[in-house]
Amino acid sequence: MKKTIMTSFVALALSASAWADFPTKDIQGIIQWGAGGSTDTVMRSVTPHVEKELGKSIVLSNRTGGVGVIAMRYVESRRADGYTLLMGAENPQMYKVLGLADVDYNDMVPINLLARGIPMFVANNDAPYNTMSEMVEYAKANPGSVKVGSTGTGGLTSIVLAMLESQVSIELTNIPYDGDGPALTALQGGAIDIMPAVLGAAIEHVRAGRMKVIGLVDTASHPVLPGVAPITDEFPGFKDYLPWGPFFGVFVKKGTPDAAVDTLVNAFNKGAQHPEFVELMENRGFIIMNASGKEAEDFLSSYRSVSSWVVHEAGFSKHSPEEYGIPKP
Amino acid sequence: MFEALQYFSISWVSPELMFLTALGTFLGIYVGAIPGLSVTMAVSILISFTFSWDVNSALCLMVGVYMGGVYGGSRTAILLNIPGAPSAIATALDGYPLAQQGKAGEAIGLSTVMSVIGGFVGIIVLAVAAPHVSDFALTFQPRDYLLLGLLGILLVGSLSGGNMAKGLFAGAFGILIGTVGLDPLTAEERFTYGVVELWSGINPIAVMIGLFGITEALSQLHHMDKVAVKQRIDRLIPKWGDVKKYLPLSLRSSAIGVGVGSLPGVGGDIAALMAYDQAKRSTKNPEVEFGKGAKEGLVAPESANNAAVGGAYIPMLTLGIPGDAVTAVFIGALFIHGLNPGPMLMIERPEMFWFTVGNLTLANIFVLIFGLTGIRLFSKIVECPKGILIPVIFLLSIVGAYSINNSIADVWWMLGFGMLGYFFKMYGVPVGPIILGVILSRLIDDNWRRAIMSERGDLSNFFINMISSPLSATLLLAIILILLSQTPIWKKVFKPKNT
Repeated sequence: MKKTIMTSFVALALSASAWADFPTKDIQGIIQWGAGGSTDTVMRSVTPHVEKELGKSIVLSNRTGGVGVIAMRYVESRRADGYTLLMGAENPQMYKVLGLADVDYNDMVPINLLARGIPMFVANNDAPYNTMSEMVEYAKANPGSVKVGSTGTGGLTSIVLAMLESQVSIELTNIPYDGDGPALTALQGGAIDIMPAVLGAAIEHVRAGRMKVIGLVDTASHPVLPGVAPITDEFPGFKDYLPWGPFFGVFVKKGTPDAAVDTLVNAFNKGAQHPEFVELMENRGFIIMNASGKEAEDFLSSYRSVSSWVVHEAGFSKHSPEEYGIPKP
Repeated sequence: MFEALQYFSISWVSPELMFLTALGTFLGIYVGAIPGLSVTMAVSILISFTFSWDVNSALCLMVGVYMGGVYGGSRTAILLNIPGAPSAIATALDGYPLAQQGKAGEAIGLSTVMSVIGGFVGIIVLAVAAPHVSDFALTFQPRDYLLLGLLGILLVGSLSGGNMAKGLFAGAFGILIGTVGLDPLTAEERFTYGVVELWSGINPIAVMIGLFGITEALSQLHHMDKVAVKQRIDRLIPKWGDVKKYLPLSLRSSAIGVGVGSLPGVGGDIAALMAYDQAKRSTKNPEVEFGKGAKEGLVAPESANNAAVGGAYIPMLTLGIPGDAVTAVFIGALFIHGLNPGPMLMIERPEMFWFTVGNLTLANIFVLIFGLTGIRLFSKIVECPKGILIPVIFLLSIVGAYSINNSIADVWWMLGFGMLGYFFKMYGVPVGPIILGVILSRLIDDNWRRAIMSERGDLSNFFINMISSPLSATLLLAIILILLSQTPIWKKVFKPKNT
């Protein structure tokens, strides 16, 4: 007995000292989405600043596929030692209700939620409406004639549309695309009429006058879009869901030693404050969060509750949020 | 005009930028030649690597890698029958037979010159007509992408080597493989049997490496006793007469390359295959049959895939819309370096446009220089004893398959398709249409459904719009003409006049 206590003390001391100088080797960063996408760009631009803080390299690789499930499973299959980071976007928070996986970010440790985006509705320049209410009127008068671009079940577009449908009953024709890039291209070519998109992805096209904003899905107007009123002015019911938006975050497996988590949290916190990174994100219309610990966990839970229930009430969830104990917002 | 020229020459007058472009091109050729190591991946690694650099230096290196990489894919296609990238599949069809006849050096020389010609055509169109081309590319509706995919499927005829029934079977099998995974439109599982690794589908590059590399290596085992063909290395730089003779074909193929390359979502792989098909149809009396080492079969895809580079830059520089996967990464790079890639880039930072055009031109010249040196050494690879060469092909294929996505599952797929391809080959089923099917499956599947959803399921509207849109009608007419031209009646009426 004494011996076991002794050995465990020694082991504890050893491990404590080992974790004190974390990291002792290069860290692996697993990006959930493909090269050139927004998650990829955000992660590749914050990483160099974080590396400076850590004093070790973060080797980035893209593990795509399965709506991000493959990357998540990979990180979950590695040891919980802080040497494998999951760098992803908001999708995993919908895995449970959509029946894609049994894990989400709430089962991991958030290192840093870097930033969040604001959704907005954009429309083809030739569309005969300029605001959300006009669009809704038009859609009511011409059922099914408004073609809306979407990016697949559980994506930003489907959740924002579900929010809209909870407020008004209109019939839209849904055309799915592989991502907001291809869909926004189709919008300019007239293959679709409207599309909910994250501000950052569409802002340059709006500035150039190639598409117009008809609604900002937030509770306040945004400096880069002067004159565009928030959607809550026209549809106050949206207040229940907002502020809501896609986000980018870095996570490690649950069970990672606190010392390693702390080191990573500090490094990412400093990296995300680097003026270059902040400027980059603001230019793209993202709101810097730089959140960790309790703040990050609260945001993740709230995002999951809102999205899961909206999707469930719109009728395209595979499992009820209740099955997983996801509380109603 | 003077300003444009000044921006154009930024990378020409700075020794540092010139060196970086040269280095990038050199690296690109070798990255491109290794199957599985994609240009997309190389460029995105360079983003991190060049993070703290000045934006011009970073872009020089990356543009070089892109230009060199697209060309480099032809190297292993010709020498070992393993295309370095999907855009070099068509190159392997006639390039590898040429190498087997001892003409590897000549094939590499010709493909280099044609790649460079194609590259220049792409750059010229980019410089002269970019805004017009990108506006035209945007008018392509889902229905037009569908027709483009169907036009591509007609290639089965060119790839099936005489046996149409087996070719059709192989093509359909390829389309089936392409449907595996989460349905891209609804995220429903298709043919996944509950296996998460199958959600993202079977990687087309793994299929390609297996069907070409491993299948060839296994078939070579039948001829272990045969001595490798002595390579002729007296003539490496193609004769001026040859270049002149193939120039019209090269220009036609380049036009296909720029056009297809400028369409968002369709890239050099489809451009090269379509150019190959076009060459096969338009060449009346080839010296050597297609598929057995016809030089036309080498000229067309190599011109087209390098022309597609300039094409892919067209929507990217004018509208901030990527023309292919690599330009998507470039958009990310511009963003990281504090520029706002989008339709305003041309107006706010016109120097970026001309700098890129100048840089592409420079990289293209380096392709010519690096491409034509070292051929002698490379063609020796084919002379290697089979006992060494076959294990090397296996090793290269395995490393290549693994590096696509750092996943061991891709290696198993690659080996599985390699063995399947071997049996197919033994029984005379051509493997070309399989990979064609895999590549085109998504394009046809997604766009057919988008097109019919846009008409709210109304087939009559679908056909009326197809005929009333000039673009769709033209594509449809092309498909009908190609089909008709293969019927006996057509041949009876039109063939005698030609001879």
